[in-house]
This record gives sequence, structure tokens and C-alpha cells, in this order.
Amino acid sequence: MAQEKRILIVDDDPDYAAAIEKILKTADYSVSLAGDVKSGMEQIEKEVPDLILLDVMMEKYDDGFNMCYDLKHDDRYKDVPIIIITAVTEVTGLKFNPKTDGEYLDSDDYVQKPISADLLLEKVRRFI
Amino acid sequence: MASKERILVIDDEEVIRDSCTQALAKVGHVVKSAENADKGLELLKSFDPGIVLVDLKMPGKSGIEVLEEIQAIDPNIIKIVITGFATVSSAIDAMKKGAYDFIPKPFTPEEIRVIVARGLERRQLLLESEALRLEQEKTRKNMISLVSHEFRAPLAATIQYLEVILGGMAGDISSEAKEMIERCDIRLREMLELLGRWISLAIFDADKLSENFKDINLKDLASESIDVLKSMAEEKNVSLILDSPEDLPTIKGNKVSIGEVFNNLISNGIKYNNEGGWVKISLSEADDYISVKISDNGMGIDNEHLSKIFDEFYRVDGRRNAPVKGSGLGLSIVKKMVNAHGGTIDVESEIGKGSVFKIDFPKTFEPENSDKKEEDR
Repeated sequence: MAQEKRILIVDDDPDYAAAIEKILKTADYSVSLAGDVKSGMEQIEKEVPDLILLDVMMEKYDDGFNMCYDLKHDDRYKDVPIIIITAVTEVTGLKFNPKTDGEYLDSDDYVQKPISADLLLEKVRRFI
Repeated sequence: MASKERILVIDDEEVIRDSCTQALAKVGHVVKSAENADKGLELLKSFDPGIVLVDLKMPGKSGIEVLEEIQAIDPNIIKIVITGFATVSSAIDAMKKGAYDFIPKPFTPEEIRVIVARGLERRQLLLESEALRLEQEKTRKNMISLVSHEFRAPLAATIQYLEVILGGMAGDISSEAKEMIERCDIRLREMLELLGRWISLAIFDADKLSENFKDINLKDLASESIDVLKSMAEEKNVSLILDSPEDLPTIKGNKVSIGEVFNNLISNGIKYNNEGGWVKISLSEADDYISVKISDNGMGIDNEHLSKIFDEFYRVDGRRNAPVKGSGLGLSIVKKMVNAHGGTIDVESEIGKGSVFKIDFPKTFEPENSDKKEEDR
């Protein structure tokens, strides 16, 4: 069997992260968690994951966007797929739409919380 | 005694500059002066005055131009015009350019002090209302992002856990427990949806909406809505019918919000319908507008409710155990969005026969607010 794919979840809501972790683990992914951008970056520097699930509003309202932008503009990490996963939608007027804000957002996909287990796994399988 | 203020005097006559400075410094104001417009505007930046006294008639750049420039830099700076020939037309001109008051030459020290004191009161008022307005706007925005994130996040986490449990990923549960958890899931999702509607109403901003008006093909949008709602209609065995000419002209609008209008009205037509019913979306062209009719042969709405169904939070059946649940917000949002496109919405209905919602979108529409902005400038 191929080696387990590694997924990093960066989300400041431990409950949400735990629920997502459970779904991914049942599909045999290896999962690690980070509660903020800083520890997320530390983990990535130690070992590059195969995919990142990234929350947007953490300490600051656009933490996730900035982290996404930094990763996608870093030659070491720009090929790691990033799925933005957020409870906030475009109605708040923030730049949230990957269709219109693609350049700014730069993520590979975007899903809204909460997400069905099937849809999450389908999205993940598209990349790894 | 009134507060002290920084005051700038722009006048080419030395005697006026001196007399203003003396009269105003005597009551504690900090006064600086300039002998022409350019020097005055230069000084304005570093000195940051609350009040500026400007001579209308100066060599070089005129007082009127100075008024305009100051108004553009900071409308809260009080501008008082000094003039040797106080004609009605020059005064009106100056007022139009943002002057608060004017004082004819020659004037006594007391006269200039009275006018400045009045200007100061005006400035206090302006600054206070400006601060209040900013504070209110900030509170409103903070409140919305708080609602949006702080309320959504726990709901999302809870629903996500239920998804794991109901998906059998956390081990077996009894069928009774499963049923209860399924009810929890439904109730929480309803709450999430209600929250979403409430937020979109709270932040609805017609100005912002019209910023990105684009050409919109209503037939395509209607088809998209039908696609989205197909499974909901199938569940209730309601058929969705689209009737539109191929070559319907486009209208100017916001795609997302018109899509929401369609979704809302069509899903209402499905929800308040009977097994085997239908919802029909008819598009047609008139002289100046495109007409959209969304009709159904469902339950219909009683006459006493018809005039109120576009009101916020109004529900035809507000009982908690009502057979069909609504937030009471859907149609009020629909009306706001239609109006933001210059359109009108009407409803006709008969109990037991069904309802017809008729929307007219003008073919060409210039949002009023952008015209107003031009005028303000």
C-alpha cells in the first residue's frame, strides 16, 4: 500500500478541527493539527504536508488568506494544494470569492463550514 | 469661555491679517496668517487649523478657489469669507463652495470674534456628529462580523460533529439516538440558514450592490435557479417550468442577488405547494422592461396577509409548529433586491388556487445613488 498522505489542518476552533480530523482519518489520511498560523508554519517547515486545509478567520480576520498567499508565493511550498475552509461567506464583504478574488486568494479550492463528509473527501481526493 | 482653536487667515492686506490676529489672539486662539492663496494652502497642511478666514479678492489664486481646495482637503474645516464688496452673488457663490459665513470689511475686533465663535460652535457640532457617525458605522460593522463569525463558528463545529456521528464514524448509536441527532442536525442547519438571511439583510447595501452591475441574462439565471432547486422540487413532486423567448435582452444588475430573488420565489412556490403541483417561471419583454412572472398552483395567500408579506419578519403562519417554516425575511430581502435594480414587485393570490409574483426589471437602469454622489462632489 502506498504511504499515507499527510494533511495539515490549520484552524483555531479545536472542535471543528477534531471533527474534520475524524472524517479524514476514516479515509486513512494521516492528519496533524495547528491552532494558528505560527504553529502551522512551524509544522510545514518541519515536514511539508501533501495538502493543507486552512481556516480564514483566526486571530485576525484574514489570517488564513495571508498564510495562503505566503505559501503560494514561496517556491518551497507553492505546489502544496490548499483548500480554504471557512464559516464566513462573501456576504460579509471580505474578499472571499475564489472566482473573483482568485489572484488575492490563490487557494486551490474553497469550501464552506459545515461540509458533508462525502464532499470533503471528494475535494481532498481531487488533489491527492 | 469657548474653546481655543487654531485659526488661519489668508488675506493680501497686511492690516487685515494683523487686526484678525490681534483680535483673535486676545481671546486665546492660535493664529497664523498668509498673504496669498498658495502660501495659505501650504500653511494649512502643517498648521492644521480648525477655522480659516479667506479673503475673496486676492492677486493670484482667488478666494473661491481656496475655498474649494480646503473643502476637498477637509470639509470639517470651517471657512469664513472676508470680503470688501459683500454682494449677494459673491456671498452665494462662496456658500456654494462650502463657506460657513462671511464678514464684510471693515470690521471691528468684536465682530470678527463673534463670527469666529459661531464658526467654532459649528465645527464642534460637525466633529461630534462625524465622530458619532464613524462610531455607529464601526459598531454596526463589528456587530455584523461578530454575528457572522462568532455565531456561525460554534454552529459549524457542532454540525460537523453531528456529521461525523451520523456518518457512523464515531461508532454505533441506537436508532432512537440517531433519530434525535438527526433532528438536532436539522434544527441547527435551519438556524444557520436563518442567521445567513439575517446577516444578508443587515448588511444589505444598495450602493455597494450597484457598484458591480453587469449585463445579466435572466433566462440563464432562471435556469440556474431551477437546477439548484430541482431536487427540492422532486422531493415534493412539484414540477418546475421555464417559459422564455430565446432572444431576451439583458438587463444591468447583480447576478448573485437576482439569483437569490429567483431562488427565494421559486423555493416558496415549491414549499407552499401540494403534491403534484407546479411552479412556472415566465419571462417576457415589454417596451421598457423585462417582466418575470413566478406563478404556482399551490396553497395561495389569504387577502389579509397580501399587503404585509414583503414586511420584515412578517410570516403568514408564525406558529412554531407551522407546517412550513420560514424566517419572515425571505420576501423582504427579495423586495429590497428588486428595488435596488430599479424594479417593482407585486403579488396576486387566491387561497387554494395559487400565487403569482410579478417583477418588472427596467431594461436600462442608472442607480440613483451614483447620480447623487456626482452631485455631492
